[in-house]
Amino acid sequence: MRPLLNRREVGVAVALVLVFIVFFSMKREFLNAGTLGDIVTVAAELGVVAIGVSFLMIAGEMDLSVGSNFALSGMVLAMLITKSGWNPWAALLAALACGAGIGAVNGLVTLYARIPSFITTLGAMMFWRGIALYLSQGWPISIFEDVPLLRLLGGARVLSTAHISAVWWFVIGLVFCLVLEKTAYGNWVFATGGKRAAARALGVADTKVKMTNFIITGVLAALSGCLQLGRMGSMSPVWGQELSLEAIAAAVVGGNSLSGGIGTIFGAMLGAVTMASIRIGLVMVGAPSYWYMSFVGFIVVAAVALNVKLGEVISWRK
Amino acid sequence: MEEVSCRARQDPLMEAIGLCKRFGRVVALEDVDVTIQSGEVVGLLGDNGAGKSTLIKILTGVYRPDGGELKFEGKPVDFASPKDARRLGIETVYQDLALIENMSIARNFFLGAEPSRRIGGFNLLDMAAMRRVTEEALRDIGIAVRCATDDVCVLSGGERQAIAIGRTMYFGGKLLILDEPTSALSVHETNKVLGYITEARKRGLAVIFITHNLYHVYPVADRFIVLEHGRKVADLAKDEATVDDLIRIVAYGIEGTRRD
Repeated sequence: MRPLLNRREVGVAVALVLVFIVFFSMKREFLNAGTLGDIVTVAAELGVVAIGVSFLMIAGEMDLSVGSNFALSGMVLAMLITKSGWNPWAALLAALACGAGIGAVNGLVTLYARIPSFITTLGAMMFWRGIALYLSQGWPISIFEDVPLLRLLGGARVLSTAHISAVWWFVIGLVFCLVLEKTAYGNWVFATGGKRAAARALGVADTKVKMTNFIITGVLAALSGCLQLGRMGSMSPVWGQELSLEAIAAAVVGGNSLSGGIGTIFGAMLGAVTMASIRIGLVMVGAPSYWYMSFVGFIVVAAVALNVKLGEVISWRK
Repeated sequence: MEEVSCRARQDPLMEAIGLCKRFGRVVALEDVDVTIQSGEVVGLLGDNGAGKSTLIKILTGVYRPDGGELKFEGKPVDFASPKDARRLGIETVYQDLALIENMSIARNFFLGAEPSRRIGGFNLLDMAAMRRVTEEALRDIGIAVRCATDDVCVLSGGERQAIAIGRTMYFGGKLLILDEPTSALSVHETNKVLGYITEARKRGLAVIFITHNLYHVYPVADRFIVLEHGRKVADLAKDEATVDDLIRIVAYGIEGTRRD
């Protein structure tokens, strides 16, 4: 029992079960295949961002600009396909490169100007949102023709109501779980976020690790924008405004430490599922969607409090 | 071959000649000579600001000296970074930078030198080997750990020092530099750490032990170097000085002892 309780994901697992019990007791249809498909579809786009944010958070840095990155990179993909007539695959590469660039700028400014990443990426959040609004003049862009790449990204359905974007999310999640837990690089990520000076003293290239993770987070935010464009066929420069905080919330609910050095990718993915379940559940029971934020806020605090409590109980027993 | 091994025995493991280091107008080190033999424990003593940490940072490649030269195993060396020093087997255990609390003992032990296995085209950590080797290597030098997958934060200060020292020995370190290893430990734990230092010496490592506490370093050290205002004021073998002599030298300088 103890190894299980020791896992950082206990808090979020309990929260997820509670959310399911509440909605299931209100509406039996909450547990059918269609609803679960909707949940993983909504969780996928948030989850891809949350994986990046967690990976960076474990290395000891924050990224508030992922929401703006999501919108801008999605816009880049949409505009290159519709207005510039690019080959969709080349446009996808360009959109991901845009995300990588945003991540790289975040990393360079944070690491070389020695500004806290909270500040750097707060600025970046506003800056790139402005660029996205300027490029689109504030209008959403829709793609009406059938683009196979967009179907492959998110348009196609795989199982009942679940979109293919959920598959990409699972694959990315699996890869990052492995990288974090089972590779030397993952060991360096934990060390860099856990105690940077000690990691450096032992020969870990801490700055390179942080820089790499900033870029990965940027790429994943961009990919999430592309997945959503694939699923919805349109992208608006005002989408993803709450995405940064939602992704951080998913990571924190999933047992990741805000100050770095502790956490799991699986926890962040469960966090994303929890938040998607709340979103879908509120729609199903016919509650106004305004409740979503309040619910999520409650879950964030409750899950983290539960984690802290469990941590105390475990350390007493030792 | 014969001649080389013979030379290696005569040469000190590490030798510093006429080291100088200035920071702006502040002279941190002035014309300091130090030699360390393999299998020797040297106590490095001096008040705050005497130049101990500047000296150590030069020996470990953190700073470049403004003057003087460094030799390792008889050959001149010029360290561009701490990595260069580590490559030769110079390892430093800093008081609170030795280990990362929220990682397991095994992950800490192999940090920066992780063993991996190729599985399906990917280099994955060999966790089983990490755990087994960590437990074996630590047991081998007399350090008992319950379980190498436990987080470091459940360990006491002495156990943490022990693991850091054990790691250096396992990875073939030749010169072990310990920065105040006993300053935050209980009496019992201090004795244990002193035991590991003796064990390291028995295995032929050279040890530089930096401390404020002469009673900790005296029983295990063979020689004592005292710095004062960036100069070396004493370099004495154990049979040349008692604990009280050394305390007086650290407190009052070499003149202080002459006056007595």
